[in-house]
Amino acid sequence: MSVSDATTALTEELAARDDMIVCEGVNKWFGDFQALDGITAVIKEREVVVVLGPSGSGKSTWIRCINRLEAHQEGRIVVDGVELTNDLRNIEKIRSEVGMVFQQFNLFPHLTVADNITLAPIWVRKKPKGEAEELARSLLERVGIPEQAEKYPGQLSGGQQQRVALARALALEPRIMLFDEPTSALDPEMIKEVLDVMKELAMSGMTMMVVTHEIGFAREVADRVIFMDDGQIVETGTPEHFFTNPQEERTKLFLSQIL
Amino acid sequence: MTATMGDPAAGAGPVEPWDGEREPAQKPEEPSLSAGEWLGRNLFSSPVNALLTAVFSLLVLLVVRGLLNFTFSEERTWRAVKTNMRFLFTHAYPQDQYARIWVCVGAIAVLSGLSVGLLARAGRGISMKKLSMNLMATGGVIALGIVLREPSAIVDDEGVALHRDASAAVGDSFADWLDANAFTVLAVLVLANAALAVWFHLQGTYLRGGPEPRVGHGVLVLASFGVLIVQQYATGEIVRESFVDAMSDRAWWWLAAAVLAGGGAALWSGLGDARRRNTFVPAMYVFFVGAGVMVLSAWVYPWGHYGFLEGEFINEPGRTVAMTTKLPWTVMLVLLVATYELGRVLRAAGAGPRLRVPLNLLWVLTPFVLYWAVLRDPDLDWDHVLSTDLPMALFFAAFGGLVVWFLAHPRIGESGRVVAVVLVAVAALNWVAAYFGWYPMLQKARISFLLLAVVALLAHNFAGDRAQRMKLVAVWVATMAVFHWLVTLVNSPSTVDTPTDALIGGFGITLIVAVFTLLLAFPMGVLLALARTSKLPIFRVLSTVYIEVFRGVPLITVLFFFTLIFNLFLPDNMTLVDIAGATIGFALFSAAYLAENVRGGLQAVRRGQYEASDAVGFTTVQRTLFIVLPQALRVSIPPLVGQVIATFKETSLLAIVGIFDFLRIADKVISAQSEFLGVKREGLLFVSFIYWIFAYNMSKHSQRLEKRLGVGER
Repeated sequence: MSVSDATTALTEELAARDDMIVCEGVNKWFGDFQALDGITAVIKEREVVVVLGPSGSGKSTWIRCINRLEAHQEGRIVVDGVELTNDLRNIEKIRSEVGMVFQQFNLFPHLTVADNITLAPIWVRKKPKGEAEELARSLLERVGIPEQAEKYPGQLSGGQQQRVALARALALEPRIMLFDEPTSALDPEMIKEVLDVMKELAMSGMTMMVVTHEIGFAREVADRVIFMDDGQIVETGTPEHFFTNPQEERTKLFLSQIL
Repeated sequence: MTATMGDPAAGAGPVEPWDGEREPAQKPEEPSLSAGEWLGRNLFSSPVNALLTAVFSLLVLLVVRGLLNFTFSEERTWRAVKTNMRFLFTHAYPQDQYARIWVCVGAIAVLSGLSVGLLARAGRGISMKKLSMNLMATGGVIALGIVLREPSAIVDDEGVALHRDASAAVGDSFADWLDANAFTVLAVLVLANAALAVWFHLQGTYLRGGPEPRVGHGVLVLASFGVLIVQQYATGEIVRESFVDAMSDRAWWWLAAAVLAGGGAALWSGLGDARRRNTFVPAMYVFFVGAGVMVLSAWVYPWGHYGFLEGEFINEPGRTVAMTTKLPWTVMLVLLVATYELGRVLRAAGAGPRLRVPLNLLWVLTPFVLYWAVLRDPDLDWDHVLSTDLPMALFFAAFGGLVVWFLAHPRIGESGRVVAVVLVAVAALNWVAAYFGWYPMLQKARISFLLLAVVALLAHNFAGDRAQRMKLVAVWVATMAVFHWLVTLVNSPSTVDTPTDALIGGFGITLIVAVFTLLLAFPMGVLLALARTSKLPIFRVLSTVYIEVFRGVPLITVLFFFTLIFNLFLPDNMTLVDIAGATIGFALFSAAYLAENVRGGLQAVRRGQYEASDAVGFTTVQRTLFIVLPQALRVSIPPLVGQVIATFKETSLLAIVGIFDFLRIADKVISAQSEFLGVKREGLLFVSFIYWIFAYNMSKHSQRLEKRLGVGER
């Protein structure tokens, strides 16, 4: 099967699925600087999309617009059928369906690992405490650190902290997971333990949007790679296609620098 | 005092690579230094340090001698303080109601004992090394004080000091010469120290670490010390005790010094170096032993029996203190020890985490209960209670409970918000109506309604399953019960009969005003800080204006406004008593400062924390309560405690607005008594000492708190 055949097959299969994230002509400015320039893309259910691009290209801004940590100024963003507007209720609804993992983990330092994970299910999802604790235990099991539940984030290594952050996001049982450079603040030996958990998550059928510089992860796990530069989507395609046969000059230059 | 602090350079061995297999190396135990070595390394390590040590120890000795001579001089009338203890601490609170005061102290002792025993992460306690060193140091300081203090004058039968005749006064004994030339001699000794420093420096003795410098400087420092002592036995014209008589007159003090220093030395040498370092006793036990000795001394040592009872001064120097003093204090100590042990037992049983919140709530509630229910002994009008107060409380508990139950449903959605807004509107209209005098209803109904409206607005943040909603309803019902009970108490007249407006005076009022000020100012300060960092311009502007106005006005002006002028703005049927006005003034003023401290803490919370809270879908209220405030308050503990101490001390301004507080009793009341006309210094010194003890303990406590909360952070 040739590369283009595979792409065609995938496109057909994807077309049958539901749209999870739809962006249409999204523009965003920070002051006079245009951070996002006409972003148009659709991310399907159970799809794993890796966003690549040089720093300052707008990848993080885009992903942060999807759960409205940043507000876009023009265009439409529809997440799981709900359009993002200034209406507070929409934002709360979206945020409880979209989990996010940050580059700097952003765990709550004054709470134990267990409390970090149970706080949102209890107060946002209105889960009974016992159920939330049960969920936290199983999630910590899933990310491989069940024994750390009673520790504080400051007592954990970076990789462990990021896995707790993942568990915290998963505790809301989200339909979409956003990853904003999840391994960039980690030592090399810890990157793998986080990527392994992310791979397992991708296998389980989670819709994922990942901003990362981990080319290996993109090749192995991604269904699709989106390359951004200057706030625009330059090129998009399956990993094989993207890494072996890039179309755009800008992409070729970028790949030549990182591969 | 000297420039070299810090550890001497530890022997740095060759660095070996870590191979992961070896046992981790034990940090080598550093042997304790001998006294001589310690002096050599820390006080006389270089010419400049040696000279600084000599000069500053002389200065310290001079100041200590001055303070001791002031305190123990025959001219001091300490009887004025001893006689007026009751006045100083409670002013005109009636003697026959004094049991109420002891109930209050007892309640605080019980709460303290429980809290410390149950909650304090007691660490390892005090090491035997530190304990024995502190004992020896305390004994040493007492001994130093005994010899530094000037000898008593020899008095005739009427208590007038005997004067030497003129020929003796111009005698040529060595002591007289020394008295006349003491400062010249001291200057010569300092110069000699400097010369010694230069000489040893030129010899290079400091560099080689030879013992000669510290012996030389030590001898000269001791000589200066000797001059300071001897000089006092030859002061001018008054005939004084001989050195031997003076020392034997201070036999009790010698005993105390010997017991402390001897006990410390016995501990030090009895335990080996390793055991000294590694044996720990709980700090509370050390405190209990100290307090126990104090209480025991009240039973055996003739501190004297003084007092002012039914217009009569009691003056019996040879006796132990009054039974009404020593018995209650003994009971208080027993209560404290017993509850501390109870707390430890409960903690060992694992009850700590569950009892933390109730105990903290009890601390907040206690001041109200003690003041309004115990000290004030309210005379309840039962007809009114049954016909009005109780039904109203039940109504608000039931109605509010239903509202909370309804609004805390997880899927209440928009209709919940509408209900809440309606309640807020009704509550607001109620206050407008109050202003115009429409619908006269009890003030507490208005406040209850306002509370209900606020709770209704916030309810959806705390929504949850049945158990969670039940908990919220229980909290509301408990709040209403406590609130209505307290308001009923406040509205009832007091049966305690006092000649002044205020129920109590002296240190009592100082403490009460300080505690209520902080209870009011803390929530206000936090709200102001949140408002000042809010996104809503109206909150931001209001809070900024408030803070800048109160920070720009002197505290005393605020106090005068609230005690003298504020009543003019109130409706005819309302007056604010001085104490309430002053407390409000203090609270408004402190709140502005506390707000700035909390704002500093808020700014220290990193942006990522806000983003993470938003990303998991918290509402603004949830984010503030669960994530932002806990971190912000933790960071701002040091400045907050600074503000608490400042507020505690600033209550002494009550004296200026005419309230009989601690300072005013010492300054104005005692010195106006016929027996102690014009006696002020003793009272003021005593008052400063008590203020210092409290402020110092707060500061120590905050240091422990910082350390404890630092655990597991960042």
